[in-house]
Amino acid sequence: MLTKIASRNIWRSKKRSLIIITAVSIGLWAGIFMMAFYNGMIEQRVNSAITSELSHIQLHNREFRKEYEIKYHLPKGKKMLEVIRKDNKVKAASARIIIKGMIASPSGSSGITINGVIPELEQQLTNLKGKIIKGSYFDPKKNNEIILSEKLRKKLNLNLNKKNILTFQDKNGNLASAAFRIKAIYKTINTPYDDSNVFVKINDIDSLAGIPNEVNEIAVLLQSSKSLNETQNELKQEFPGTEIMSWMEIAPELRLTVSVGDQMVFIFMGIILLALAFGIVNTMMMAVLERTREIGMLLALGMNKFKIFMMILLETFFLILAGCPIGILLGFLSIAISQRTGIDFSNFSEVYSSFGYSSIIYPSLTVRQFEIIMFLVVITAIFSALLPARRALQLNPAESLKK
Amino acid sequence: MQKTVIDAHNLSKIYDEKTIPVYALNKVHLHISRGEFTAIKGPSGSGKTTLLNMIGGLDIPSEGFVEINGTNITKLKGNELIDFRLNNIGFVFQSYNLIPVLTTKENIEFIMLLQKRSKKETDQRVSELLKQIGLEDKINKRPRELSGGQQQRVAVARALAPKPQFILADEPTANLDSVSAENLLDMMLQLNQEENMTFVFSTHDQRVINRARRVITLEDGKIVADTAPTTIIHEQLLE
Repeated sequence: MLTKIASRNIWRSKKRSLIIITAVSIGLWAGIFMMAFYNGMIEQRVNSAITSELSHIQLHNREFRKEYEIKYHLPKGKKMLEVIRKDNKVKAASARIIIKGMIASPSGSSGITINGVIPELEQQLTNLKGKIIKGSYFDPKKNNEIILSEKLRKKLNLNLNKKNILTFQDKNGNLASAAFRIKAIYKTINTPYDDSNVFVKINDIDSLAGIPNEVNEIAVLLQSSKSLNETQNELKQEFPGTEIMSWMEIAPELRLTVSVGDQMVFIFMGIILLALAFGIVNTMMMAVLERTREIGMLLALGMNKFKIFMMILLETFFLILAGCPIGILLGFLSIAISQRTGIDFSNFSEVYSSFGYSSIIYPSLTVRQFEIIMFLVVITAIFSALLPARRALQLNPAESLKK
Repeated sequence: MQKTVIDAHNLSKIYDEKTIPVYALNKVHLHISRGEFTAIKGPSGSGKTTLLNMIGGLDIPSEGFVEINGTNITKLKGNELIDFRLNNIGFVFQSYNLIPVLTTKENIEFIMLLQKRSKKETDQRVSELLKQIGLEDKINKRPRELSGGQQQRVAVARALAPKPQFILADEPTANLDSVSAENLLDMMLQLNQEENMTFVFSTHDQRVINRARRVITLEDGKIVADTAPTTIIHEQLLE
């Protein structure tokens, strides 16, 4: 009976109900889409960081990351790599020599990270080849080739096939330098990364660095992020004494971005729903004030306060629920379309890439986020019903019946 | 002798007690027995509705108390009082006060559903009452689709449905044309006789007063007369 009365009551003032239903639809649509947009942006940043820069897990000598000194390499690193690559949970793994050094051209110099890579394994791991915009990938038959970024190329006024000098400290702290010919130019969505990373073949640099046939980093890309903790723990047991870190530990700022992003979207959603709640409270207050006499009559007839409260709550609920399907539908429709086309912010690409974000955003929404939105909607309905219900419960039947 | 249903003791309602006290009711004593058909008359502001509200537990007296079948309802609070009204008192209001979103049938069964009576019992009682009020063909009509007289009949049926101890009707014929008013009175008298249902009205309407078996006259919050209608007619003729 309560459900019947509440559901029919919302259509007593059609215009007013339609306005609030429309507001709920638009608010929910905006909230869902904004959440998906923000989620997509962060997801892309994290995916890009994992697949292009960090991988899921990295293994180092425990001392290496303190000062990035070459002498702290991974003993038997290449054997470790072989063991890791046999794991079914591992999609790709590669070993690297990471050296902090300097690149110099006749036009200038710049501090950089030299990534000594195994070309074929690095390709599986980070798809470096796919990021090349000029030139071609490493030639196995040639020595001292370098791949650097478009940004660095411009900064140093270099071109394909031109030579530059890499200088760094070797294992013993002596300065080592060598000339490298530019084989290719790459570009990623992350300008700061591009600004400071160059790639050479590991064989061209290990002897020069004084650690022939050794590596100081193993990067591991997993089949699924879900097995991250499990794999990390297994590797810790397999290689005790080695520093084995997940991407969240390597880049805590990225982890912070994810958690802050999560909080931000819920804050935005909360603000949207709060604004909606005030509209709904207003509508329901109007409804209660207009029906003072009727509520007084219900109290007189013997409808207890809990039932009156439930009637107002259900009415608020139905009002919100009536707007939900349209809002959700519009939200999912716009997510589906923009997932295909992407939302292009190319005009602001420099700003986006300076923070490591893609300028084309593909919104995405997880089931958990959708559940949370629905939970927030329910909370909003309850919150919106409280004030009008309180007003209704304060009514005195004798006084109300006079109105 | 019929059992006392309503027992009002020394009932007063005082407004603005701390400044200039206004007595809406002034030390009223009233006993109404089962099966009575009682009208409370008096000029506007004499305290008719206030008395009805006190008897119905819709308002709290400033002094005195009301007993319904031996229960002091003045002591009941909140939901306890609401539940008491639900299970013991039927109300008929001047402006019908049907639930506009419910149909005739749903309005009549409303109180029985609140009482959680079985569907079978409810359906049986509703069809019985629909027959009695002659609105079987309006079962699925909403109040706005009914005339004033029809709405008031539904309101009476709603009040009667759970078979309360008594029915309080606040000026039930005030908004009705003469034919509808007569029909309603006929119906209520019939129900009074057939079901021995106690009716207490507040009214200005001479037709109601003429049909009542007991007429209580209120003036300035006090009972100034409590008599049978024939006596009143006689007094009026003498005047």
